[in-house]
Amino acid sequence: MEVNLTEANLSHSERFKSELISLLNEKQRSIWINMQQVTYVDSSFLGALVAALKHAISIQRDVVLISLQKDIDDMLKLIRLDKVFKIYNTEQEAKQAIV
Amino acid sequence: MANSSKHILLVDDNPLFLKLLARAFDKAGFNCYTASSGSEALLYLQKQVPDAILSDYEMPEMNGLEFRRNILREDRLKDIPFMFLTGFDDEKIRYSGLDLQAIDYVIKDTPVEVIIAKVNNLLHAVNKQRELSELEIRQTVAALNIKAVPEKVPAVNGLAIDFWHQDYQQIPGGDFIDFIEADGRYLFIVLGDIMGKKWKAWFFTFTYLSYIRAAVRFGVSDTDNSTASILQKINNVIYHDDGLRDILSSVALLRVNRETGQLSYAGAGDLPLLHYRAATQQLVQINSSGLLLGLLPEGNYTEQDIIMNAGDELFIFTDGLIDFAFGENKKSDYTAFAAKLQEHMANKQSFNELKHGLQQQSAQLVDDSSIIHIQKTT
Repeated sequence: MEVNLTEANLSHSERFKSELISLLNEKQRSIWINMQQVTYVDSSFLGALVAALKHAISIQRDVVLISLQKDIDDMLKLIRLDKVFKIYNTEQEAKQAIV
Repeated sequence: MANSSKHILLVDDNPLFLKLLARAFDKAGFNCYTASSGSEALLYLQKQVPDAILSDYEMPEMNGLEFRRNILREDRLKDIPFMFLTGFDDEKIRYSGLDLQAIDYVIKDTPVEVIIAKVNNLLHAVNKQRELSELEIRQTVAALNIKAVPEKVPAVNGLAIDFWHQDYQQIPGGDFIDFIEADGRYLFIVLGDIMGKKWKAWFFTFTYLSYIRAAVRFGVSDTDNSTASILQKINNVIYHDDGLRDILSSVALLRVNRETGQLSYAGAGDLPLLHYRAATQQLVQINSSGLLLGLLPEGNYTEQDIIMNAGDELFIFTDGLIDFAFGENKKSDYTAFAAKLQEHMANKQSFNELKHGLQQQSAQLVDDSSIIHIQKTT
């Protein structure tokens, strides 16, 4: 899945969360999210990502974040979310690490 | 009426008319986006939510009605004020349009100034209605006397405690602050931030605060009053509360020993605190280990003591303060906030001055913002 937004915020968060959760339920597989284009994530959107992660963990799956921009990567580290999301610089790197 | 911040989406398959319309709306101070078809407009709406949409009725491929039906299917978009432009005064179109909750329709021959005036009136009416609904909620909240931030700061010998809090767009949100007097000896300081914005986040602040207050009091009566075990107790309850399944929160929890002045701290997914050391005149980051409340059964909370010497200051804050808007863009930048604070300290400015500065800039904030300040006075 690719987040085709530069600013990921409140107006997208509910739909994004329900899409992620129904994808997890349907496919029963981990979700890879490419965040390359996203320069800012507000707390609602981050809340949606984390809610999906919690759901993924409950069915023993992962949420993989790929190509995070530096500001967002830094913020996730500051609040320890790098310990729960799987984070990779590129899809290639993620494939090598996971598959 | 000033429209400098109003975004309008104009949809018409006639490029000349669209250009004319856009130019006129531009001149009237609107930010315009134009689309030459319903599907192009829908693509734009995947990314942006304008304040109003003005759409032609007669268009090839997807006509205005179909376009409107598509919009109504999406919760995110369905309440955007919508107006139809029709080529002629057709009663049937008018009625089917109204049936689709189009708030108004305009005949294309109408002078463009009148079209702009109609859009302005429409936006004005919608805003007025929104303000009234919010006012009603605010009045109810005031009548219930529930608050997510305290009215007073506690007095502690040797420490000066103060805080500043600002709601995003004047609507209560997910930040909460509490000072809990557990017994004569211990004061607990809480700064939390429910993920999300506005009313939805705000409603959950009270559930969180109730759990936190209960856990602190049980902690003190249990004699296990470490901030880490209190956070783990709160986490246990929240993790298993189905009503809070999707609602996560960060919390910074500090315990002040009134007798010794000792400060202990544990954090749950909160931003690192900043400790200003008077001796070195530098800010030092204090990291904690814990995860957001409610995320995993084990939150990995650990307690640490914060040693404050006379003149030292401690800043505990939520992410609203590290989010910056520049032009149309936004970014989160903890380092930039820390640098700003360091500069403030270098200029020997007080917390009151910082509060004043933040208040002045509060229109630029992009989220709820809160900061607690603790200064060691003696």
